[in-house]
Amino acid sequence: MTQSKTHQLNGQIGTDPSFIHATGTGHSKANAKASDAQPELKLTQEEQDILDGKSGDLLQKAMKTVCDYGRLFGADKLVDLDCAPHMAMSWGSDGVEPFLKIYKQLADAGLKTYAPFTADPKPMDFDDLPMTDEEVTMAKKIYNRMDELEEINLKLGMVKDAWSCACYVPQMGNTPKYGDNLAWSESSAINYSNSVLGARTNRNSMGIDMLCSIIGKAPAFGLLTDKGRQAKWLIDVQLSEKPHPEMIGSAIGIKVVEDVSYITGMDKFIPGVNEETAGYLKDLGAATASNGAVGLYHMEGVTPEAVKHGRDLLDEGYQTYVIDDAELKRIYATYPNLWKDEEGTPERVFLGCPHMTYGQMVEWGNRVIDAMEKAGKDKVAVPTYFFGSAPVRADFEKRNAGIVAKLDAYGVGRPINCPMMWCSTPVSGAERVATNSNKTRVYTTARFFFDDALSHLIVHGELPSKA
Amino acid sequence: MSTTFKGRAALPGNVEGSAEVSHTGFNTCATYIEVMISGSNSGVCKDHDNPDLFNRDLKDKILCIPQTVGSSSAATLFMIILERNLAPKAMLFANHIDSLAACGLLMGDNWLGKRIVTVDMLGDEFLNTVKPGDSVKIHEDGTIEINA
Repeated sequence: MTQSKTHQLNGQIGTDPSFIHATGTGHSKANAKASDAQPELKLTQEEQDILDGKSGDLLQKAMKTVCDYGRLFGADKLVDLDCAPHMAMSWGSDGVEPFLKIYKQLADAGLKTYAPFTADPKPMDFDDLPMTDEEVTMAKKIYNRMDELEEINLKLGMVKDAWSCACYVPQMGNTPKYGDNLAWSESSAINYSNSVLGARTNRNSMGIDMLCSIIGKAPAFGLLTDKGRQAKWLIDVQLSEKPHPEMIGSAIGIKVVEDVSYITGMDKFIPGVNEETAGYLKDLGAATASNGAVGLYHMEGVTPEAVKHGRDLLDEGYQTYVIDDAELKRIYATYPNLWKDEEGTPERVFLGCPHMTYGQMVEWGNRVIDAMEKAGKDKVAVPTYFFGSAPVRADFEKRNAGIVAKLDAYGVGRPINCPMMWCSTPVSGAERVATNSNKTRVYTTARFFFDDALSHLIVHGELPSKA
Repeated sequence: MSTTFKGRAALPGNVEGSAEVSHTGFNTCATYIEVMISGSNSGVCKDHDNPDLFNRDLKDKILCIPQTVGSSSAATLFMIILERNLAPKAMLFANHIDSLAACGLLMGDNWLGKRIVTVDMLGDEFLNTVKPGDSVKIHEDGTIEINA
């Protein structure tokens, strides 16, 4: 049963690796058998009362759905949720009408999530990512229920304007602590909270995230358990220099699919988790999550559980995957060119999927300025965009007036929407987009390039000959 | 001649019908893309990349697949096809059910009161055995009878 597919929506978008077989939860069930003993899901009296309908019909349905979901994946109990929810559903369209109907019922009944929540970025930013009038009209037709989604979300407890996939950065404020239990969706945020912060969440489907957040509980299985966080792969990094995070993440995701990995040999490049390395670890994790279905990685000497437990995190019978320079080259060579005009010049450069951190905005700002000044140019040759949340953008603009003035003069935009969704929307998806995001590459027809090639492209309007 | 397999009754039920079989992951989003985009009221598979199912009507069939794959919009699509009565009668998974299918099927079951009977972990041999058009009988305990 090999997979032959290479794209999504009948070729309209992307190389979506979700065609791999996985449970999608971040916890493999590859060898599960129907005859395996299933744990019994034990409920507290309070939970049982909700399930029995003592708190009303809607909470009963929510509890039943969450319990059924937990039973399917082997949960033995529910756990209380901490911090705040994060939802992946950020687009209002007819395609998500069933969820809108349910969410509206919950909202109309006055129910709210257990804490104010954040959500993924909206698909479009008409102010900061210019489109033609015709494209705007079409995009508004496709996302015809954005206002409805936003109104419902606010009633359910969403923080106003808190749209970002990188909800965990300080400016966004939805930052879980070590050991917090969550029921998040959005694969990159799940990966970051599990791996870099040491919080605990499974990869949840849209719908389940909201229902868990309404009842304030999640089924305890997979990545919410100590056993489920044991690594089934040792990733032995033997590289001559610090790798691009998107490449090493891609290699790991493709190899381990949804298993937990324990990465060694990276602590010489990454001194620890701090504001400077946060962006690197975010991008590495997002690539594992999108090129595979990884919910958690441990990095020896770097991520909190690896620092605390070391190689005790390796599960019995773990496998080993060696990543060297040749392996990364091999992986890069497999990336297809999905532009309709394969030899065409890129029409836009997208940076920031997942959304840029503050540190990444500063780093890329300086990179662009340096390249432009060296070339003696005063306008970017290809429309270029830094994607980030509104609070991160505001912080960047407030603290870096000199950089911002130059970027504005060059014509570098700073939209707050989701670049991946923008690229996978039919109205805009035909454009030739160049990106440094493996996630955008995977889900759209955008092409991945290394940072130096993108800098050259931004300044000169063409790719260097060896890109 | 009848061949029997035993899986886990994820959403139990007693139903029978004619099999449709996919040997590659079932891409829910691509299959029902016209239902989603143009409001089509057809249960015909529109996934060009699925040679087993393309242009075959899956409504009221017993859909036999390894697992579902593809976009995270899948869960809402299960609910849409259930609302419009376009859904298969049953879904039989060779592998463990995946989270997107589970969410869509459970939400349809609990919030719409409409069930696609679901059995998972039937094993690779199940998919090697069942053929399109076979009569398949599903029992509440997860037992599957295939009559060629």
